[in-house]
Amino acid sequence: MSILKIKNLHKRFQNNVVLDGIDLEVNKGDIIGIVGPSGTGKSTLLRSINLLEKPEEGTISLDDITVELPLRGGNRKNITELRKRTGMVFQKFYLFEHKTALENVMEGLVTVRKKTKKEAEEIALKELESVGLLEWKNHYPKHMSGGQQQRVAIARTLAMKPDIIFLDEPTSALDPELVTEVLGTIKKIADEGYTMLLVSHEMDFIRKISNRVLFLDGGKIIEDGTPAEVFEHPKTERAREFFKKMNTLREPDYYI
Amino acid sequence: METKFSDYFSFKLVWQRMPELIKKIPITLELAGLAFLVSLFVGLLLAVARYKKIKVLGAVATGFLSIVRGTPMLIQLYVAYYGIPAVLRIFNSLGANIDVNIIPKIVYAFIALGLYQSAFTSETIRAALESVDKGEIEAAYAMGMTYGQILKRIIIPEALENALPGIDNSIIGLIKGTSLASTCGIIEITYQNQILAGRDYRYLEGYVALAIIYWAITIILERIFKVVEKRVRVPDKPADATAAGLSAQQPGISVSRA
Repeated sequence: MSILKIKNLHKRFQNNVVLDGIDLEVNKGDIIGIVGPSGTGKSTLLRSINLLEKPEEGTISLDDITVELPLRGGNRKNITELRKRTGMVFQKFYLFEHKTALENVMEGLVTVRKKTKKEAEEIALKELESVGLLEWKNHYPKHMSGGQQQRVAIARTLAMKPDIIFLDEPTSALDPELVTEVLGTIKKIADEGYTMLLVSHEMDFIRKISNRVLFLDGGKIIEDGTPAEVFEHPKTERAREFFKKMNTLREPDYYI
Repeated sequence: METKFSDYFSFKLVWQRMPELIKKIPITLELAGLAFLVSLFVGLLLAVARYKKIKVLGAVATGFLSIVRGTPMLIQLYVAYYGIPAVLRIFNSLGANIDVNIIPKIVYAFIALGLYQSAFTSETIRAALESVDKGEIEAAYAMGMTYGQILKRIIIPEALENALPGIDNSIIGLIKGTSLASTCGIIEITYQNQILAGRDYRYLEGYVALAIIYWAITIILERIFKVVEKRVRVPDKPADATAAGLSAQQPGISVSRA
């Protein structure tokens, strides 16, 4: 059953076409990995779906909420409704610096979900526990490592019980040794049955966790299939070339 | 006859001048307080107009800032003192019926002082607003918050920390600026000193007493600001040591303990 439908999405920055007519249907429970070279619109695609970027043309439907582009006055309310039902995890976490870990997770529950403080705190504590940071609840972001901040950001997103979660290069800003803890957390929520769109350069992780992989190039989806199909038998020359490069990078510089 | 040091300067007179000057401190504080409210309100408007890049308002704000920053405060006080009644008289000649003489002099002074200070406060506030991470605002939007909610719960609390030192400065500036209001005929502490010194010609002792009073007010205010700033600021050190201690057991997780 499809939960998210995107039709003919176009986005450009000045003369640079970033999304060139994207069509996409996402089923409930899908975990979709989005890969491709830098600057091909992977992040822009995610950011366009929750309207952090404003695409010029297209339709975005989440369940019964539809946002038609270009934006017109009456659509504004739909944007907020759509955002309320999606969650986003950013590359640079973007925790609220003035709030503790606990307050960060509570924020959306109180202001958006209109929970009482007590209810919000109960939910937030549970989410912090599930990402393994209960003891850190009273700490401010600046006192936590990047990996911990990203796990708080994930807890903040999960607390809202979104219909779909967008993860925009969630481990790219982390020290290599902190990547594992965040990937572990993402694996855990994937197993809980959340629908996810994950932009990442962690190919092995995407191969392991996702049931569908998209390859973006030049603002278009040029590969779309299971991880095995896309990674092992790419149909396009561009994708083959990309994966070959990714693989060569992993080979040693010298052979003896 | 031999001249003594006390003929030129008497500590005793400085001391004796104090009670009469202190009596007028409430006027000084009232003037500074009202001017501060004006400066905060106008400053916030100007700052938001420029921060949100509202077209016409932003241009008006920029022009206003240029004029206010480019002219001395004393001149602005005079312009307000003579200008506001003149404008009101023009209104009267057009059929309005305002009694110009009924407006207390303090009104001219705190409007002029407040507008002057608002130019500086607005830049402080604008810089503080702009210091809020755009990413945090995006994160708040992404979870479905409206701009009003974001402004109230994310932007303003964070901007406040950065704006406070500048706002503190503007309050201190206003306290000292009130001394110019004597030119509008308001009997605050500086004018009070002129009156007292006019009787005994002991100007120097009077001004020294005044300096001490202004200084004392500033010291007290700085103490208060320090407490407020500490309450608003995110602490430098982690909240509880036990949680921070966890880092020792979890390799690969570092805690910054500045």
